[in-house]
Amino acid sequence: MGDGPRTLVIIPDKCVGCGTCKLACSMVKASGDAMRRTRIHIHNISRERYVQMTCLQCVDAACIKACDTGALMRNEATGAVELQENRCISCGLCEVACPFGHMHFNRATGKPEKCDLCSGDPACAKFCPHGALLYR
Amino acid sequence: MRISTIEQLDEQRRRFAALEQEIPWQVKVCSGSGCIAAGAAAVHDAFVKEMAAAGISASTSFEQCGGGTSLVAKTGCQGLCQAGPLVTVQPGGIVYTRVRTKDVPLIVTETLQKGVVLESLLYRNPNTGEPCRTREDIPFYVHQKFVALEGCGIVAADSLGHYLARGGFRALVHALAMDPIAIIDEVEKSGLRGKGGGGFPTGRKWRTCVNADGDERFIVCNGDEGDPGAFMDCALMEGDPFRIIEGMMIGGRAIGAKRGFIYVRHEYPRAVQRLQSAIDQCVDAGLLGTDILCSGFDFQLRIVRGGGAFVCGESSALMRSIEGFPGEPRSKYIRSTEKGLFNQPTVLNNVETFASIPAVIRDGAYAFASVGTGRSKGTKAFCLAGRVNHTGLVEVPMGMTLREVIFGIGGGVPNGRRFKAVQTGGPSGGCLGEAHLDLRVDFDELSAAGSMMGSGGMIVMDDYSCMVDVSRYFLKFLMGESCGKCVPCREGLFQLFEIVDGIARGNGTRKDLERIEKLGHAIALSSLCGLGKSGPNPVLSAIANFREEFEAHIVGRKCPAGVCRELTTFQIDPHRCTGCMKCRRVCPVNAISGEKKKPHHIDTALCTRCGACRLECDDEAIAVV
Amino acid sequence: MKITIDGKKVEAKRWDTVLTAARRAGIAIPSLCQLDSLENVGACRLCMVEVNHPHWRGAKLVTACEYPVESGLEVITTSEEVLRLRRANLDLLLARAPESRRLQQMSAEMGLEQSGYVRPDKGTACILCMLCTRVCEKLGCNAIAPAGRGLDKRIDTPFGGYPDTCIGCGACAAICPVDCIEMTDTAKTRTIWGRTFEFVKCAECGTPVITVEYRDYAIAHRSLPADYYNECSDCKRRKLAVKFAKVGG
Ligand SMILES: Cc1cc2nc3c(=O)[nH]c(=O)nc-3n(C[C@H](O)[C@H](O)[C@H](O)COP(=O)(O)O)c2cc1C
Ligand code: SF4
Ligand code: FES
Repeated sequence: MGDGPRTLVIIPDKCVGCGTCKLACSMVKASGDAMRRTRIHIHNISRERYVQMTCLQCVDAACIKACDTGALMRNEATGAVELQENRCISCGLCEVACPFGHMHFNRATGKPEKCDLCSGDPACAKFCPHGALLYR
Repeated sequence: MRISTIEQLDEQRRRFAALEQEIPWQVKVCSGSGCIAAGAAAVHDAFVKEMAAAGISASTSFEQCGGGTSLVAKTGCQGLCQAGPLVTVQPGGIVYTRVRTKDVPLIVTETLQKGVVLESLLYRNPNTGEPCRTREDIPFYVHQKFVALEGCGIVAADSLGHYLARGGFRALVHALAMDPIAIIDEVEKSGLRGKGGGGFPTGRKWRTCVNADGDERFIVCNGDEGDPGAFMDCALMEGDPFRIIEGMMIGGRAIGAKRGFIYVRHEYPRAVQRLQSAIDQCVDAGLLGTDILCSGFDFQLRIVRGGGAFVCGESSALMRSIEGFPGEPRSKYIRSTEKGLFNQPTVLNNVETFASIPAVIRDGAYAFASVGTGRSKGTKAFCLAGRVNHTGLVEVPMGMTLREVIFGIGGGVPNGRRFKAVQTGGPSGGCLGEAHLDLRVDFDELSAAGSMMGSGGMIVMDDYSCMVDVSRYFLKFLMGESCGKCVPCREGLFQLFEIVDGIARGNGTRKDLERIEKLGHAIALSSLCGLGKSGPNPVLSAIANFREEFEAHIVGRKCPAGVCRELTTFQIDPHRCTGCMKCRRVCPVNAISGEKKKPHHIDTALCTRCGACRLECDDEAIAVV
Repeated sequence: MKITIDGKKVEAKRWDTVLTAARRAGIAIPSLCQLDSLENVGACRLCMVEVNHPHWRGAKLVTACEYPVESGLEVITTSEEVLRLRRANLDLLLARAPESRRLQQMSAEMGLEQSGYVRPDKGTACILCMLCTRVCEKLGCNAIAPAGRGLDKRIDTPFGGYPDTCIGCGACAAICPVDCIEMTDTAKTRTIWGRTFEFVKCAECGTPVITVEYRDYAIAHRSLPADYYNECSDCKRRKLAVKFAKVGG
């Protein structure tokens, strides 16, 4: 690998829809209504066809552009777009702006929730038993 | 008249001084708030009419007097408000009290035409019954020392000429000849401290402002005067507006400000009008504007009307308000002398502080500092109110004891009642008891005793006042005036009020006093501005000085002073009652029965505990049980 | 510049407040009304700390969120007195808004079981932290502002009337730490501050996305394509998943 940050690679072909990634994510990130609030989702496209979806950490991220307070910033070390809670004003525009539906605005906490690559050690990739999520 | 040089100023001064000498009679009708309320305006008009009718040539404008024409002037507060309307007749300095319009013809014919003093209108010494002709004879005045109030009630408030004749703008001329830093040195040496409440050394404040970086500097006069019952600043603005202007000009010169603002309380339209007229006269004469007296000094003044809230008098709120925002305080971790009005270095001083400045510069720092105590120099004006014989506006040398103020100047407590407490420092000051009467009027001594100098309210209470009730009253006031921005003040004062109210209603518990003290200290230490920081003062000092009274409410469920209705029962002492029927007549709910010359009786079930009967009874027959 | 916080030497920047410097150094100070992207107001007084300096005559109690650092400043964040003041203010807040989860959580952290004061019968649970008004101002709408003073102080629309400039974004309701701003969403509309807004509905499934006014605001004020605001997250995600599935074969 080069010097740049690693990326989370999604390999839908290998996904069997077992949900281990979701469980791992919920253990790390969600507290209350666990499964709904995971930052990774599994879409069952057709019988036996699963696609895992999580934030792509876009290079030209729409969420960053939607945020007027600089609360969303890229962590150069991990490559993840991260939320600075102390800057976020709860306007919720990032959720609507994400073209891929990866930003979840939690009304109860008033803050958006998104994948931050577990600060460089994504639990989903670590626990995927089928090699369908790779962090490299 | 145009005054462009110092020579021209001196010339005008000589002209007006000579003119004053020529005026046959000066009739000075006090037009302070108290006397106006008592009908002074009509008295003034009556003098104009009656003098004309009597063929005495008179004018209401000082400038048009002289050469046989007398003056009927409106002055600022002459001090003894309680005996208003006051009229002072010069020459002679005769002080007439309680002058009604019907008395005016007599004064004109007797005093002005025959030179006879009307004894019936003179003030009488309450102790000796002797009539007093002049200020020098009236005990109320003799113990006072006038510095800031020097001209208040003496000069015709609306006349630049009269101000000049009395030595006005001399200090400015001095100041213009001085190096600005030398002015600050002089003010600092004088020991003058701010009269608006905090007692911050004025010279030091000016110096930090001069040392701060900024594009422009501002000077602001705080005339918001929100303390209920206080009117020193009002009296000064109405009574000697030119003096405040002069003080501000000297300050402006010292700190390098070209623009000044006078922030006047919303409820003071007359002060606004007199100040505006004074400013206009100065502008017309060239005393405000550019290159004043050919010194290169430019200075403008503008009046801003207050936002109508007590907290607007707080310095940062006041500046916000001038900027056009709601008057809410902000943290002053960066001082307003560095970043104040419009983010520029700003000096804010109280009206009385500015009114003291001309004296400092004219007489010199040493003369000013010769009066006072170690760290409190000069004088302080107070509004003496409550249960004292002479209520009104007073100015006393620092270092005078409270006893001297209350009993010497104030003439003691009326109706032979006992002195109980004095509240100094306005609504957020403290309540001091008999044990503190020998405290001196001194910033630090008062603070050390749990009260403060404040801006100059002084309310005297007798033994018919209940300290629990008094604490509740002040808390209620402050709670209503809190701007509501910060939690300890908004929520904390409310909770303090609830606890004190509970005590007054007989629901107090033994733990309450400790709770009040704890919460009070938390409010004082964590509030944003001075309102919250000093808000718990009245109740904390009341508990410190009158603890037994609080305990009586809590433990004994009694209000010893007979004020808290839920804890009071009135009873007529049959041995003292003479059956004079006075109480029976005054009772609004007819709870008192009894025949003439026989002991009366109060029906406790009907009695609302208003206390009216007790105030009426001359024999102290109505007891609190 | 160097300052000391709880005995620890900490590097601080020129315009830092004590709070930002402490946070950067990983020292937690409770705060409620402060956000890095908003102007400080110093309303909650929960961030009280003690500051001192070798050149001063004595320590001061100040709010960390507002106090500017200076070289050599010594900060103590956990003295007896500081903790007592924070707890006293939290106690007062809790009396006003006992149901607030946020306050309950803070109370648990500060060892306060329940408020020792009566709940004021005047006013709502609003603790006047001014987050809502500042957020609204930050978005450029200024639809709400404080009115009145003391216990009567409240957050309201101008003169209590129709909020002309409100766009129904709901940020005020979301940021409120005591959940006292009423906002009602139905399948079609959102009602807040006495005004009802139509939702933009997801082009795919019809669930509400954002209010029409908020979408128009976003189009005007953000540099994103206008059609970015037309679908709900679930549909967007599903569409992408379908695309991925195709690419994957
Ligand atoms: C709640 C509050 C109200 C105040 N009201 C007044 C006022 O009415 N007049 C005044 O001169 N100062 C008032 N002050 C004091 C001012 O903040 C300020 O200290 C003063 O005007 C400075 O002038 P000085 O240095 O000449 O005293 C008030 C302070 C507080 C905290
Ligand atoms: S102490 Fe009171 S008046 Fe001052 S800012 Fe706080 S709430 Fe407002
Ligand atoms: S966070 Fe500092 S006062 Fe609220």
